[in-house]
Amino acid sequence: MNVAVILIPVLPLIASLITLIFGKRYFKDKAHILPVLSLFGSFILSLLVLYDVIQGRTYNFDLYSWLVAGSLKVGIGFQVDPLSAMMCAMVTSLSFLIHVYSIGYMHGDPGYYRFFSYISLFTFSMLMLVLGNNLAQLFLGWELVGLCSYFLIGFWYEKKSASNAAIKAFVVNRVGDFGFALGIFMVFYYLGTLYYTEIFERLPAIKNAYIEILGYEVYVPFLIAFLLFCGAMGKSAQFPLHVWLPDAMEGPTPVSALIHAATMVTAGVFMVSRLSPLYVMSDEAMAMVAFVGAFTCFMAATIAPTQFDIKRVIAYSTLSQLGYMFMACGVGAFSAGMFHLFTHAYFKALLFLGAGSVIHAMHHAPDPNDIRYMGGLKKYMPITYATFLIASLSISGIPGLAGFFSKDEILAMAYFSPYPWGKAIWLIGLIVAGLTAFYTFRIFFKAFHGEFRGRSYLHGKDPHESPKVMTIPLIIISIGAIFSGWLGIPESLGGGANFQKFLEQVVYHHEVEITDHALEYGLMALSVVAGLIGIFFAYLVYVKNPRLETLFSSNFKKLYKFLYNKWYFDELYHYTFVLPTFFLARTFVNLIVDTFVIDHTVNGSAKVTTSFGGLIQRFHNGIINYYLWGIILGLILYFVVYYYLN
Amino acid sequence: MVDLNSYIYLSLILFMIGLFGFIFRRNLIILLACVEIMLNALIILFASISYFRKDATGYILVFFIIAMAAAEAAVGLTLAVALYKKLKKVYTEEINLFRG
Amino acid sequence: MGAQDLAFYYLGFAMILSGLFTVFSRNPVHALLSLLVLVVHQAFMLYLLGSEFLSAVQIIVYAGAVVVLFLFVVYLINLQKEARFRVFVRRFSLGLIFFILFAFLFIKYFVLIFSMSTSIRTLLPIDPTSSQALKMMARYLFTEYLFQFELIGVILLVVVLGTVFLLRKAKEERLG
Repeated sequence: MNVAVILIPVLPLIASLITLIFGKRYFKDKAHILPVLSLFGSFILSLLVLYDVIQGRTYNFDLYSWLVAGSLKVGIGFQVDPLSAMMCAMVTSLSFLIHVYSIGYMHGDPGYYRFFSYISLFTFSMLMLVLGNNLAQLFLGWELVGLCSYFLIGFWYEKKSASNAAIKAFVVNRVGDFGFALGIFMVFYYLGTLYYTEIFERLPAIKNAYIEILGYEVYVPFLIAFLLFCGAMGKSAQFPLHVWLPDAMEGPTPVSALIHAATMVTAGVFMVSRLSPLYVMSDEAMAMVAFVGAFTCFMAATIAPTQFDIKRVIAYSTLSQLGYMFMACGVGAFSAGMFHLFTHAYFKALLFLGAGSVIHAMHHAPDPNDIRYMGGLKKYMPITYATFLIASLSISGIPGLAGFFSKDEILAMAYFSPYPWGKAIWLIGLIVAGLTAFYTFRIFFKAFHGEFRGRSYLHGKDPHESPKVMTIPLIIISIGAIFSGWLGIPESLGGGANFQKFLEQVVYHHEVEITDHALEYGLMALSVVAGLIGIFFAYLVYVKNPRLETLFSSNFKKLYKFLYNKWYFDELYHYTFVLPTFFLARTFVNLIVDTFVIDHTVNGSAKVTTSFGGLIQRFHNGIINYYLWGIILGLILYFVVYYYLN
Repeated sequence: MVDLNSYIYLSLILFMIGLFGFIFRRNLIILLACVEIMLNALIILFASISYFRKDATGYILVFFIIAMAAAEAAVGLTLAVALYKKLKKVYTEEINLFRG
Repeated sequence: MGAQDLAFYYLGFAMILSGLFTVFSRNPVHALLSLLVLVVHQAFMLYLLGSEFLSAVQIIVYAGAVVVLFLFVVYLINLQKEARFRVFVRRFSLGLIFFILFAFLFIKYFVLIFSMSTSIRTLLPIDPTSSQALKMMARYLFTEYLFQFELIGVILLVVVLGTVFLLRKAKEERLG
C-alpha cells in the first residue's frame, strides 16, 4: 500500500516531465493524454487509500532521507490519515476533471503541452504538500505550488498584464513565505523536530515558554502560530496579502478553477488544521486567525458586488469563503473549516468552470469576461446554465445543497464556540452570507437572464454551448457540489456528521455540546433567510428593475468608488512598498552599489591584471639573458622551498 | 692537505664563474663559451670524486661529458651562425624576435 | 706538501684566473684564448686525477675541436670590427642580486650535502693508480655503459647532420 501512496503524487510528476520534454515535438495536440491518464490513476489510488483510512488504517513512513544537517534530520515522507486522505481524494478528483475540461478549453492554444505539463506538475506539488509528514515537505510543496502558480498565471506570458499578475502573485506569496520560514525555524529551535507526530508529542514542552522581543514578553506558541499564519495569509490570500488573487485571474480559467479555488489557496487552511494542536495553545493565535479571516471575508464580499469581470467576482468570492474557513478555525472548529474547504472546492470550481464555459462562448467579444456583454445565455448554454445555477445555490447556502451544510456548520460552531469572539464571528458570517448570495446571483442573472447584449460583438451569431469535453466535467462536479455536503449532515438534522467525525481523529476540536436545539434551528433558519434575501435583492435589481442597478453607485458615490477600487489596497501597497523599493533599487543599488562599487571592482581587477602583465612584459623582450635570470630565480625558489620550508 | 673537498670547492668556484658569465654576457658566442666553462667544472667534479672514491663511474661520466660538450658546442654554434646569417647580429640584446 | 698538491694549487689557480678572463674580457678572441688555456690546464688536472686517457681525450676533443670551432665561428662572423663597449647586459645589478642569492643558497645547501657524504656505495671499483686502470675503465665502458656509449655515437651523428642541415643555403628560394 505504501507504493500506492507514493504513486499518487509521482504519477502526475512523471506525466508532467514527459509532457514538458517531449510535448512540443511528439505530443502536440495530444499532449493531454499522459497527464489525464496519470491523474485518473492518482484519483483511483487516492480512493483506495481513502477507503483504507476509513477502515482505520493510517500510514506514516519516510521514503528517503532528504535533509541531514547537524541535529536536523528530515526525510521525504508520507503521512496518510483522515485529513490528508480526504485532501488527496478531493485534489485528485478535481484535478482530473479539470484536466479533462482543459482539453476543450485550451484547444488550439500554442502552449497546449506546456499547460498540461504545468497543471500536472502543480498537482504533484499539491499532493506532496498534503501528504507530507513533516513541515519541511509541507514547505517544499508550498513553494512548488507557488512556482506552478506563477507559471500558470503567467501562462500567456506575452500579455503584459498576465506576467505582471504572475510576478505579483509570487512576490506577495514570498512575503508570506518569509514569515512561514521563520515559523519553521522556530519550530525546529524550540521543538527540535519537524515531523508532525513528534511536534505534537513535544508541544507540552513549550506550554509556558516565552521569548523576549524588543522588550516584550511574547508567548512562543503564539509567535510560531503567527509566523506560520503569515504563510497562510500569503498562500490563502487573506488580508493583508490578498491582493494577488484577483489579478491571478489573468491565467486561463481552468487554472483559476484548480489553483485558486480548490487547491493552492486552501493550503493555508490545511496547514492551520494540520497544526491545530499548536494553534489552540494560544488564544491570541486563534483570535488572530478568526479575525483575519472575518475581515477578509467581509472585505471581499463588499468588493465583489461592484466588479464587472465575472472571474474577478468569483475570485473575491473565493477570498470571502476562505475567510469563512479561517473563521471556523479561529473558533476552534477546525473540522468545520475543512468541511467547508471540501464543499467549497466543488462549488467554486464549478463556478469557475462555468464562467470559463461562458468566456469560451464569448471569446469574440472585446472583453469576454465582462458581464455587461453577456445576458440571456440561458437559452444558448443550457448545461452551463444549470450547473452554474446549482453552484450559485450551493454557495448561497440553500438547504439541500453542499454549501448549506458546511456554511451552517461554521456558523453554528461559531455561535456556540467557547471562545469569546464566537458570536461576533457568527454575526459577520451571517451578514456575508447574505452578501454572498447577492453578488453570486448578480452575475448569474446578468449573464444568463435577460437579453443577450453581446450580439454585435459576435458578428450577429449566437453564442453556443461548450463541447462535451467541457460540459461533462461540469455535470460531474455539480454532483459534487450538491452531495459533498451530505457527508457532513449534522446530527441535529438527522445525519451522522460523518465528515466531521472522520476528521476529528486528527484535527483538534472543541467538545461542543449543542443543547439548545431550538436556537440551533433558529440560527440555521436565519442563515437561509439571509441567503434568500440576497437572492431576492439580486433578482430585484438585475432582473425585475434594471434601473435600480445604478442606484447605489450614483447615490453613494464615494463609498461605491471605495468598493470598486478594492478598498484602495493596491494603491496603498504601491505607494508604501513598490515605489520605495523601485526608488531604492534605481538610485541606491544601481548607482552606488552597481556602478561605483561593482563596476570599479571589476574594471579594477582587469586593470590590475593588465598592469601586472605589463610588468611581466618588460621581461618578455626576447633577450636570452633575462630568461636565464628567470631560470636562476626558479632555482632559488626551489632551494628556498625545499630547505627553508621543509 | 688537498683532498676531495678542495677539488669540489674548485669545481664550485669555476661553475659559479661560468654561470656568472652565462647570465650576463651579451655576446652569443661567448655565452656558449661560458657554458663550456661550466661543463669543465663538472668534469673536475666527477673526475675528483672518481679518483678519491676509487670508483670508475666518474671517469665514464667525464668521457661522456666531453663528448656531449663537443656535440652541444657544435649545435649551439651552428644555431648562432644561422641566426647571424638571418639577423646579422650576434648580441643578445638586439636579437629580440620574440619581443612582447 | 707533495708535488701533487702543488700541482693542484697551480692548476686550480690558473683555471680560475683564465675563467675570469674568459668571462670578463671584451674582445671575444681573447675570451676564447683564455678558454683554451683553461681547457689545457683542465687536461693536466685530469692527468693528475688518474686518467691519462681522459686527459688525452680532453686535449683532442675540447682543445683541439671545440675551442677551434669557436674560433672559426668568431672569424666567420668577423666579430672584430663590432667591438662594443658594453660587456654585460643591461640591468646588471638586478641580475647580480639574483646571482648572489643563488650562489649563496647553492653553496650552502648543495655542496655541504655533497661533502658530507662519506658512504657513497662504490658502483664500479677501480684503482686509478694502477696500470690496469684504463683497461678496467674500457671494460666498464663497453659493458655497463654500452647503451650510453652507442647513444653518444648516435648523438654525434645527429649533430653532424644537423649542422649541415641548418647551415645549407636555401637554394630553392634563390632559383624559385
